[in-house]
Amino acid sequence: MNMADALHTFLAESRALLQEMEEALLKLENDPADPDAVHAVFRAAHTIKGSAGLFGLDHIVDFTHEAESVLDRARGGEMALDDELTGLLLECSDHLGRLLDIAADGAEPDEDDAAHGAALTRRLAVYLERFGEGEQLPVETGAAEPRIDSAGPGPDGVENCAWHISLRFGRDVLRNGMDPMSFIRYLATFGEIVHVVTLPDAMPPAAEMDPECCYLGFEIRFRTDADKARIESAFDFVREDSAIRILPPGCRIGDYLELIESLPEDTTRLGEILVGCGAITPRELDEMLAIQEAQGGEKDEEGRPPLGEMFVQENVVQPEVVDAALARQKEVRGRQAQDSKFLRVHADKLDNLINLVGELVIANSGLGMLAARNKDGATMEAVSGVARLVEDIRDSTMRLRLVEIGETFNRFRRVVRDVSKETGKEIELVIQGGDTELDKTMVDRIGDPLTHLVRNAVDHGIEAAEVRAGRGKPAKGTVWLNAYHESGGIVIEVADDGGGLDQDAILAKAQARGVVAEGDELTDAQVWNLIFEPGFSTVDRVSNLSGRGVGMDVVKRAIEALRGTVGIESHAGRGTTFRIRLPLSMAIIDGFLMSVAAAHYVVPLELVLECVELPAGEGDADNRNYLNLRGEVLPLLRLKEHFALEGERTGRRRNVVVVQWAGRKAGLLVDELKGQLQAVIKPLGRVFSGLRGISGSTILGSGEVALVLDVPVLLEQAVQKEDYVAAQRIKSSRENVRVARTETADQ
Amino acid sequence: MELRPKKGKGAAGRYRLEGELTIYTANDDREALLKALDGPDELEWNLAGITEMDTAGAQLLILAKREAAAGTKTLVFTEHSAAAVEAIELLNLAGHLGDPLVLTGKEKTT
Amino acid sequence: MAKTVLIADDSASIRQVVGMTLKNAGYEVIEAEDGKDALSKLDGQKVHLVISDVNMPNMDGISFVKELKAQPANKFTPVIMLTTEAGEDKKQAGQMAGAKAWMVKPFQPAQMLDAVSKLVLP
Repeated sequence: MNMADALHTFLAESRALLQEMEEALLKLENDPADPDAVHAVFRAAHTIKGSAGLFGLDHIVDFTHEAESVLDRARGGEMALDDELTGLLLECSDHLGRLLDIAADGAEPDEDDAAHGAALTRRLAVYLERFGEGEQLPVETGAAEPRIDSAGPGPDGVENCAWHISLRFGRDVLRNGMDPMSFIRYLATFGEIVHVVTLPDAMPPAAEMDPECCYLGFEIRFRTDADKARIESAFDFVREDSAIRILPPGCRIGDYLELIESLPEDTTRLGEILVGCGAITPRELDEMLAIQEAQGGEKDEEGRPPLGEMFVQENVVQPEVVDAALARQKEVRGRQAQDSKFLRVHADKLDNLINLVGELVIANSGLGMLAARNKDGATMEAVSGVARLVEDIRDSTMRLRLVEIGETFNRFRRVVRDVSKETGKEIELVIQGGDTELDKTMVDRIGDPLTHLVRNAVDHGIEAAEVRAGRGKPAKGTVWLNAYHESGGIVIEVADDGGGLDQDAILAKAQARGVVAEGDELTDAQVWNLIFEPGFSTVDRVSNLSGRGVGMDVVKRAIEALRGTVGIESHAGRGTTFRIRLPLSMAIIDGFLMSVAAAHYVVPLELVLECVELPAGEGDADNRNYLNLRGEVLPLLRLKEHFALEGERTGRRRNVVVVQWAGRKAGLLVDELKGQLQAVIKPLGRVFSGLRGISGSTILGSGEVALVLDVPVLLEQAVQKEDYVAAQRIKSSRENVRVARTETADQ
Repeated sequence: MELRPKKGKGAAGRYRLEGELTIYTANDDREALLKALDGPDELEWNLAGITEMDTAGAQLLILAKREAAAGTKTLVFTEHSAAAVEAIELLNLAGHLGDPLVLTGKEKTT
Repeated sequence: MAKTVLIADDSASIRQVVGMTLKNAGYEVIEAEDGKDALSKLDGQKVHLVISDVNMPNMDGISFVKELKAQPANKFTPVIMLTTEAGEDKKQAGQMAGAKAWMVKPFQPAQMLDAVSKLVLP
């Protein structure tokens, strides 16, 4: 096999393609819209052009290019193939046949042929211009060619002087099949790798390290005669995702300063930085270190001239370079000093400690009960002292597990950047409340749902730039990530200033899927919540971004698994906010204990708004599911009935515990109020996983078991009770009357 | 890659790494290597059986060293195969990893 | 051991020239006419690099790369996609499928060899 054989193949192949092209064009004369025929013509032109380039038949490439551009428009349905155009393309096909014949003879086209080709090209160009985009299409093919060596040696051609290449690859480079090692090997094919420094500093601890990610950075000194474009071209395939800096030999100091400042590593020592930058050689560094040692001073850093100063004294580097490196090192040292105040502790040890504190809480409340039963005042006092300390220990222990959410948030900068690149939207990510602290387990597990919401916001939330312009919004979309504390929990918001959810589309889809019956009246919030139904998506076009097989239902479940809730606020044309509420921690809570029909229940104390005695007659007589509380109609959940308890009612009176979550309130009807306690939450077994309204259990000091109520779920159930809904309607219509009546009932 | 424990007395913590240490196997390799770090304070991994090593593989060796050091253990790599030596030299990791690179007498890998 | 490169292109002349260039440089080359042909010739075996045209009959380049990347042996195989200036829209789809390296047709054999050597040396 040689080039002549290959050329032969090319000619035969191209003639066959021209034949196909002609047939297809003739078919188009009868049926101008036949998509198969249009495609066949395009493919023929496309393939001939692609192959011709291999043989250096540039005149064929150039000529075919114009025809291909026209055909691409036609293929996209943007341009009609009328008789005139089809005729022109047939002429082009003939001309191509002639060019192939000439190539077969090993000749160049003569003047006549060239003129004929140029005339055809001009006529094709008219079509493109008529289409209005003629000048936007790339006319010269050379521009799009892969970068190659431009002739001549490097800019200054200095020998014995090395380029400096600083590489920080994108995390996904390995996954994409690109191995940094192969790029370094490639460099070695046209130069000499003088020195490589591999920097593993960015690699996280083993537990967080993803072995398919690339964490290594490289500082390379490279000697070559090639120019910068040639060196740069080595990284053509990874340029988009990577930070690549190439400094020529004998570079200006300012460039090195810039490089030093841009280096992300924080453990790089001064010497290494200088060597890494190519500002000094390793040999010079060794010499400096030797002199420094000779000048005395063991490892006392204070007592000897600073390394940097010595470099300057010895005229090895310019002062500016050293200043920048020193400033950088100082910063690194400061951070290291801070680092040293941290201890890395295995998560298991921490969990064990928290378990023990939990047991301590239980044991101590057992002791307290014992003392109370024996009416032993002194012991009770001592127990309450211990209880206070235990509470402090508990709080401190829980705080050990808290980490700032900022790091998780920052991960999304990349997500937003990538997704906005993929979608071609310009988007800014604004992060607020990054220093808000949250349990480590939660931080780990909230990442995925957040990713989905952020992608969703970018992909579906933010509109295309034209749409935004039409709505009078800035072209650049904004996505906000916000975190803050609220009543014993944390709120995380993912907001966008996009188009808002399409209420009609959601309803239509829900009705089509039978989730909602025709004619159902739903509140806004209820409509928004429909998107959390399994398999629900209002976007017909499955996008590559959010359409990853993960639905919003998975997001919701993930959040619920953390005992959290997610709510939506959306305004048409103005944007959508997803608001995730999570409890601060999952293990120990301050609870409020109550009993119903001899069973014990606990609600998180921070959710209890107030406790009131059930007013005589109010809600009792007719088993109503609502309650008037100082003029406010609240849903009332009768726990005895709700959980179908069969035990006897205890206590003389009945009490209502008013709970609040995410702006909703409801009353829980119970028998006895038992007061505050610290509850160590134990998860329920798998058998009870389907139980709605109970989120866990806890053991009381007496050894009895109390169930922890899942307030958000109960609230939802309470609000749905029909007569409450009815009562609220009446209330809104007869506001004044009700208020007047309840005011007296309340006293 | 497969991690084969050495047999016999005093062989605890001594393993032989067999096969490729690359992006293709990186996930499993990480688990295996981290598990192998659980053991006595002195660990020795024989790299003679490494047939292929890329940046992902090199990265795992760096990780293993670092984790060992964090647990105040010593981890020594011995008998680097040609593939391991090539990768370590290309990335100039010999100093970082700190093990003497000695080619095994015969290349079993190529 | 020589590194193996698979080239999938419906143009026989491109296959021949690329194949010849790469073989001369010391690579093993597998030639395939389209995505389907490439998959059957691969038969689940690992190759060190894949060069694929975008526009091919039977199975186009994008679908081929998707299937290729689904094979455990080729999950991380680098792919060079061949495209024309007119094919920018395809490029996005290809990026999604896992083809991160792109080369514009027409190209010189030397350019192809250069691109291949960046990812895999023979």
